[in-house]
Amino acid sequence: MKGWDGLVSSALLGTDRRPAHFEDLPDHIRERLGDGGLLDAAALATIYRRAGRKPLRDLEPLPAAPGEDRPLPRPVAIRRLAAMLGGFQTSALGEWLRAADAHGWGVPPEHLPALADYARHRAEYRPLVIAAAGRRARWLADLNPEWRFLHAAVADSNDSELWTHGNAIQRRTWLRTLRRQDPDAAREALAEVWPSESAATRADFLSLLTDGLSQQDEEFLEAALDDRAREVRRGAARLLARVPGSQYGVRMTERLHSHLTATQGVLAVDLPRRLTQSMERDGIDSQNPEGIGKRAWWFHQIVANAPLSAMELAWLELPVEGCAPEVLQSAWTEAAIRERSAEWARALLRAEASTGSRSPAELLRLLPPDEWARAVDVLRTTVDIAELVGGLPVPWPTSLATMILDQLGKVGTNRAWARLASIAARAVPPDVLDHPITREPTGEEDTWRRRLVETLTFRREIYQELT
Amino acid sequence: MWDVDQVVGLAPDAASARAGEGLARGEKWSGTGASERAVWGLCQGSGKQPYQTAVDLSGPAYKCSCPSRKFPCKHAVGLMLLSAKGQVGAGEEPDWVRAWVDQRAVRAERPERKPGEVADPIAAQQRANRRADRVSAGMAELAGWLDDQVRQGLGGFDQRAYSELSRLAARMVDAQAPGVAGAVRRAAGVVGRGHGWPGELLEELSLIHLIVSAHGRLADLPPALADTVQSRIGWTTETARVLAEGEKVEDDWLLLGRVIEPDERLTVRRAWLRGATTGRIALILSFAAAGRPLDPLPARPGEYVPAALSFYPGALPLRALLTQTAPRLPAPRPTGLTVHRALASYVESLAGDPWNERWPLVLEDVRPARHGDGWALVDAAGDGLEVLPGWDAWKLLAVSAGDPITVAGEWNRAGLRPMTCWHHDRPVIL
Repeated sequence: MKGWDGLVSSALLGTDRRPAHFEDLPDHIRERLGDGGLLDAAALATIYRRAGRKPLRDLEPLPAAPGEDRPLPRPVAIRRLAAMLGGFQTSALGEWLRAADAHGWGVPPEHLPALADYARHRAEYRPLVIAAAGRRARWLADLNPEWRFLHAAVADSNDSELWTHGNAIQRRTWLRTLRRQDPDAAREALAEVWPSESAATRADFLSLLTDGLSQQDEEFLEAALDDRAREVRRGAARLLARVPGSQYGVRMTERLHSHLTATQGVLAVDLPRRLTQSMERDGIDSQNPEGIGKRAWWFHQIVANAPLSAMELAWLELPVEGCAPEVLQSAWTEAAIRERSAEWARALLRAEASTGSRSPAELLRLLPPDEWARAVDVLRTTVDIAELVGGLPVPWPTSLATMILDQLGKVGTNRAWARLASIAARAVPPDVLDHPITREPTGEEDTWRRRLVETLTFRREIYQELT
Repeated sequence: MWDVDQVVGLAPDAASARAGEGLARGEKWSGTGASERAVWGLCQGSGKQPYQTAVDLSGPAYKCSCPSRKFPCKHAVGLMLLSAKGQVGAGEEPDWVRAWVDQRAVRAERPERKPGEVADPIAAQQRANRRADRVSAGMAELAGWLDDQVRQGLGGFDQRAYSELSRLAARMVDAQAPGVAGAVRRAAGVVGRGHGWPGELLEELSLIHLIVSAHGRLADLPPALADTVQSRIGWTTETARVLAEGEKVEDDWLLLGRVIEPDERLTVRRAWLRGATTGRIALILSFAAAGRPLDPLPARPGEYVPAALSFYPGALPLRALLTQTAPRLPAPRPTGLTVHRALASYVESLAGDPWNERWPLVLEDVRPARHGDGWALVDAAGDGLEVLPGWDAWKLLAVSAGDPITVAGEWNRAGLRPMTCWHHDRPVIL
């Protein structure tokens, strides 16, 4: 405004030294000023300036996010989502998002920032939040670098720009998507850029080939066994061990036969004396972990990585000579998990075999889910039941969930059951949330039972509100 | 009656809210019921006798036979949640509830005098005269000080400013002019901040000067403007007087939104209302000691409160008290203004009260745009208004997704502080 700066400089220096001049001020102010002094003029000018404030011009509004919004669920469901984001029963958040998505509901957009922040450090929530964000995913990712992961939503495998020019997350998503649609094309795309990628990127992208792995990948993986980087070599060996009928499998079978023979009802083991170069190339680790000797460790890895087809279930019953039976049992456990063999898992569990660094639950989950309840019922005499079912994927099959809740309904208030109760609270499937235990009265001191019932009820209400 | 959010807001802490949630199930309770003025029930605890819990709806006030020292206790929270879920049916008040609520009603009535009535008119007049004298002395001192500063110059101010202005603010508190004391403290905060501070300091001091000189000719001012000057100086109008004599406006009041400002000692909440038929703007102030919950809002932002408001006197009657509230109602998305017309509405408020710094705006069809490090809202004509710097805009951005939306906010010189926006017709609290 005209004349304002003159007022400020008079005020700064003092009117004794620099008397204020009002000639520059707008007419409207001078007319009203009369014989007023500097402060009167300043007050008039201040109001004049505040009243004369103009809108900003030349701003570029953000582009609109293209696409359609889904309908929103009922207000009571939205309030429950807000409560979870506010810290109440937050662990049921994923279930809410999945159920809402399954019923075709959208998520109120005002909750997306909190959801995105929540998923930032919890990768398992990212696909859920991306689905929830819908057309806003890419839009928000462009605005806030902390939510870049939302870009994964739009890594369209048709857009090869993303592969050649995208950021690390976009490229990873592009490759993973393509691998699902066309495994050979994905491998070829990877082979093309392979020499120019960093070791960390090579190892990361290689791990994406786990999806849709087949004999077609063998040649590429064999070459990767000679990679400069150790982590890439190890990754390639792990993958080759899963390719049925590979040369890698043939080499492991040969090693197996030269160190293990079944004769006259005995399994005779002859531990390897040294680690050959070819064994190292196939990813066999020279450094033994604590609790096992070097040679036993090498042998363990040979068995663990040999195809199960080269071995017989009957061996589980045979006495072992030449090493501790646990070395073999834990190696079979590894092999059974790698090949996802229900047959071997069943046999190993029945024989109460040592599972080494693995949990028995990892074998249990290889069985068809309808066998879990019966298997748990048998195993619970020897294995801690919470550890056993804690490793199973959720939601549990109905039979297992009902069995566990029936059991919890009978055990009184003993604190020893608290852990199982807290696992079950999250793991029982939607159709068991109405179990009779939720209608039995709980006392004030009954902490774990009260929490169990609260969580089950909360989850039941999620589904009721979203249908 | 309540909704779940409001009840959770009444709980003294998160643990009580959680415990209350756990108790908000029908099987925990017996003998529950609700009348027009209370809700009650028996909750089985660990002891033999169930706890007797009752909530007086007028407060709300709480009564429970449990030993908890929290207020409300988890049983009261649980009972209110149960009632919020619609699981407490109407019933006849049992004796223990009726006795307690009756007693509270009597106690509430007793100290209440007839509106505006004063216990001892002569003593009150003497007190008012003494205060008027003190304020006049304070204003005279302030006027002299301001003139001195302007003659000697603010240039050397940054070294001595803070202590000088703090001393002066304390003097104004002594002179029973807390409004002016606050203005002086605000001026102290400007000194040395950024390189435009001399201009801003001059703005603040000139507006203080305007109060002082208006006080000097209070008798000549129109009565409404004189009230405004008095309230800027720090005279408060008693609630009873506002209720008795204040201008009454009946309307469906749309709650445009609220701004909560937590401070070390005091939490202030400004709730802005707009009359559906009168178009009047009203401000309802609430205070709570730091860390204590505020009263529940009369409605959610975006809903109507059908009510009569009593306005405080002044040339720009804004502040009001709610009387005779009916249950809140859902409201349609409000109509809004362009940026240009919204700014003009603030200018009109300045014509009434030149010290007015805050004004609620409803902007229609605005889209977010980047503006420096922050954000602005741009209307269809391309006119923009800056959003308060540092305000967390992510919710607003996510709702908009780049589409034009309606936003209600509180405007001040630094920018617009959005309070509520509408996602299609659904109000979203920001």
